[in-house]
Amino acid sequence: MLLANRGFVNDAHSAASGKGMPGVRVLGSSIACESTVAEDIKSGIDEVFEGIIAELTRPLTEEEKSPQVDVETPPRIAFKGTYEEVNQFFYRNGWGDGLPIVPPSEAAVEEMMKGTDLPPDHVVAKIIPRMGKATIEKIAVNAVMAGALPTHMPVLIAAVEAVSDPKTRFDTFEVSTGSWAPLLVINGPIREDIRINCSSGALSPGDLANAAIGRALGLIIKNIGGARKGIEDMGTLGNPAKYALVLGENEEESPWEPLHVEFGYQKDDNTLTVMFPNRYTQTIPAQTNAEGIATALAGMEPRALSCLLVIPDHANIFSGEGWSKQQVKESIMKKSGSRDSRRPGRLQNEDFAIVVAGGPGVWMGLLQSAGGFGNYFVTKEIKLPSNWETLTAKYSTLVPTYVKY
Amino acid sequence: MRRFIPVLVMTVFTIMATFSCSGNTSTKDGPEYQYEVLSPWAEVDPIPLRGISPRLDSVSGKKIGLFANFKRAARPIQAEVERRLKERFADIETSLFDSRLPNVTETETVNKEKFTAWAKEMDAVIAAVGD
Repeated sequence: MLLANRGFVNDAHSAASGKGMPGVRVLGSSIACESTVAEDIKSGIDEVFEGIIAELTRPLTEEEKSPQVDVETPPRIAFKGTYEEVNQFFYRNGWGDGLPIVPPSEAAVEEMMKGTDLPPDHVVAKIIPRMGKATIEKIAVNAVMAGALPTHMPVLIAAVEAVSDPKTRFDTFEVSTGSWAPLLVINGPIREDIRINCSSGALSPGDLANAAIGRALGLIIKNIGGARKGIEDMGTLGNPAKYALVLGENEEESPWEPLHVEFGYQKDDNTLTVMFPNRYTQTIPAQTNAEGIATALAGMEPRALSCLLVIPDHANIFSGEGWSKQQVKESIMKKSGSRDSRRPGRLQNEDFAIVVAGGPGVWMGLLQSAGGFGNYFVTKEIKLPSNWETLTAKYSTLVPTYVKY
Repeated sequence: MRRFIPVLVMTVFTIMATFSCSGNTSTKDGPEYQYEVLSPWAEVDPIPLRGISPRLDSVSGKKIGLFANFKRAARPIQAEVERRLKERFADIETSLFDSRLPNVTETETVNKEKFTAWAKEMDAVIAAVGD
């Protein structure tokens, strides 16, 4: 039998079912999570001790002895109704993220799937914890819901491949109490093709590609992976970045080789790099020379795993003083402390990356996977469909025009 | 003839509206427009289900496994469980499996064999997990 904090009882049942043992007996206790108070632990065990004995000795029910296979075959067509009814139906079924969704009609999903040459039933991955099959069609349904365009499909397929790579530690990050969220860094010409913002306010709302791709990935994790907030996704405080945390590298204004080239790809390759931060902080340097900027970057205390966001102006100051990206990293490593709370030694080269992003200003940023779980950056190639030029041309005029005032 | 013109216009409008509604995004202003929508919830491959182990007739005289995951309260919780068990059942034997690797499912990966062998030796296991 399992003894768990009472807030984790549903999570424990989902985990047991996912392993094929739905009958596992779970007893919730009132002991505070990760309690260090001996008296609280003692009184908490006092409360549940008779229950422990009962769960060990109470005879099994027939269902506990031989659980019945309950194969869930969700109907392909979920509902028919007005826009408002569809939204209410999806929300009631726990398929949303709190914002209105675009109804995923057959026609809309078909259009979305023009963003790939793969067939609708192709399984890109099985997403944990539920091991839901991320078929092209299911990815497309969730993409439509998020308001994504067909031109975003190649990025979403790469994102599903990337988060499913065990090196990301997605298995922990998608459901753990630390509320980690996927950061997607896009490199290559696709940034221009689909208008990924790499410049001013790249991480703020307002850009269709950045917003919809991030939102779609969140819905995919929830509806395909089955990670529902407070049931399987046990993020204690949550994280607004779970709505969207997507940016492109500002390659055009960077003096350095872009991130994907550093990771072994060609400059013209389209790639997506993922990590799971739960800490975002920004600061400004006391001095705006290379040494001062490096000191400020180190001062944000990057630990494994971190992504430092360096604005183009600062990157060009570094470059103007003859600093390569690697020299900046070495300076930061000298100035920084330990790798993380669980890995010995000082900050290593592999523990952090530098991405040039953002617009005019003086601020710099740090996105970090606080907690330290042996995770790594994972980069995947974004594969474009054969109709890419036609598809991007179709949506090329979809850009905001802001009135002057 | 004149009386048919509005009907004709309405018919043409209805046909146009119908075709426009079946377009790529199916956005429609009309509050009564019906959307037939696909499910976002994924299918899963069925997994073989297993029943849980038979229960004990009594805890007395048994060998009870205490599994603690890496979270810092797990071991002190199991220490207290052990103390209470031995207080109640003086003739029992206990054995601790201490899973120390943070956020690694040792029982299915690096220490699977060790865990399996340990579990087979136990009459029952109490696992302290989450969180």
